[in-house]
Amino acid sequence: METTLSSGTHLTSLSRTTGLAQLRAFGAIIWREYLHFVRYPTWVIAFIIWPILFPATYIFSSFALAGPSGVGVTRFLEVAGTDNFLGYIVVGTSVWMWANTLLWNVGFALRGEQMRGTLESNWMTPTSRFLFLLGSGPVHAVSMLMFFLFTVVEFRIFFHLTFNANLFSLLAVFLAALPALYGLGFTFASLVITAREANAFVFLVRGIVMIFCGITYPLAVMPPWMQAVAEWLPPTLIIRAARLAALNHASLEVIAPDLVRLLAYGAFWLALGYLTFSQIERRARLKGALNQY
Amino acid sequence: MQPQSALSQPSWRSHLRALWMIAVNNWKHHWRYPLNAVSDMLQPLVWLAPVYFMGQAFSVNGKAEGFAGFAGTDDYMSYILLGTALTNFIMAVFWGMGFSLKWDMDGGVLEANWTAPLPRPLILVGRTLSSLATTTLTSLGMILIGALVWGFHPTGNVLSAVLVTIPLLIGLYGFGFAFAALVMILREANTLVDSGSFIVMLLSGANFPVTVLPRWLLPLSLALPLTYGFDAVRGYLLKTRTLLPLNVEIAILLVSMVLMIVIGLRAFYALERRVRQLGTVGQY
Repeated sequence: METTLSSGTHLTSLSRTTGLAQLRAFGAIIWREYLHFVRYPTWVIAFIIWPILFPATYIFSSFALAGPSGVGVTRFLEVAGTDNFLGYIVVGTSVWMWANTLLWNVGFALRGEQMRGTLESNWMTPTSRFLFLLGSGPVHAVSMLMFFLFTVVEFRIFFHLTFNANLFSLLAVFLAALPALYGLGFTFASLVITAREANAFVFLVRGIVMIFCGITYPLAVMPPWMQAVAEWLPPTLIIRAARLAALNHASLEVIAPDLVRLLAYGAFWLALGYLTFSQIERRARLKGALNQY
Repeated sequence: MQPQSALSQPSWRSHLRALWMIAVNNWKHHWRYPLNAVSDMLQPLVWLAPVYFMGQAFSVNGKAEGFAGFAGTDDYMSYILLGTALTNFIMAVFWGMGFSLKWDMDGGVLEANWTAPLPRPLILVGRTLSSLATTTLTSLGMILIGALVWGFHPTGNVLSAVLVTIPLLIGLYGFGFAFAALVMILREANTLVDSGSFIVMLLSGANFPVTVLPRWLLPLSLALPLTYGFDAVRGYLLKTRTLLPLNVEIAILLVSMVLMIVIGLRAFYALERRVRQLGTVGQY
């Protein structure tokens, strides 16, 4: 028996990829990320412990360096322009934590799917593949806002730390930092599905941030060549602008030069993230290596 | 008729051979991934960079005068390097020893190893030997690189400092026995290990004199034998001001060493028995 298609029937795909459908898929990806986040209750412990535990080493070290009579604080005031070294360190280490968790979460978003065996099946759906990567960002960004809130509350309770913050400027820093940091995260995530074992890359990137970006000290104490390198790294600008906004009540005009540069870096990193993703995705499909790990 | 006899004939000599093989196995496993070994050496130095520059921000002409007010020495970086080298052992116990049985579980060899005619703590003793050797080498490498970059100036008695580390490390690894069994029963304990190691490192004063801790935290720090170990080693090697007279600190270390081994072994036997009762030795 022969099966023929009548001339009046034309084949149509069941999927109808419209802008609205993509938007719905994007919402579903974000919802999935949220469910993943709240599914493992250890995140509560992490949110309570780490905001205070990670900076604690540096903070107690700074207490020791200040000395019983506070002799070290005079020198710190000279080079940092503030004697609030506690707030200075808290802002720096919080930005580092942002970069660190970004690399482990957003940076490993696709790798996680690869490990769970869902990457290939998800990529077969008629959803823009970049959305799967983009969807890992919003939940992480919101969780970091909560992390910062926990940090402020805990340091207020345990160390009586006060901030002289301009909230509007602080929010502007946060928003301006998003494209640069998440662009870096997307680039990283794309490279990770090719490299597969990427822990060493995380150590390298977060190590660079830790050494160059002045998380616990002013850049002025570094050699000139290190200062020059630091100026090219987005976390340096984020830390500097966030310190001014959180500790010195700086207005938007004061931090505007850093914000403009951050946005420029953001455009660069987002474009690089997209290009890297496109290349890696094409390469992975050609080599058929998507389900390998 | 021939009398029946077991094929295995365990003796102290066979136990020693097994111990040696376990240690060699772990030694080979560690160096099989040379990049990881190099990373173990360099990672602490990366974490030290902000500490170094922060020290510079509080120092005048390279002298940390404020720090000297608490520690009795203005050689801030030697103080930190020594603390970090000792911290490597804490990390080795928490991550290496703590997860050693879990790795065997994941690798599917724990059940097979458990059926070998060996006292089970011997498996952990073998790992302890190789862990001590590899961590000592990595820490020495780290101190060497740190000395080249930032300087390291031990002005005191090296031999006494090394002797003090012996009860300190034996006690620490005794604790590792209990911790390994706990991880084996919990199976998923990353958060516990990560935050636990960080808290112990913080409270034992790896990077600062514990006298700077707030009053509500200081008792916890003073309850840890490690605090006196760090303090005594620095006292001998860098001639820092110690919390208690050195002979008292050594006595505390010796007593805690015995206690930790006894408690560690008892906890290990109890938890290991529980895992066998639950029948989860092969599960992960």
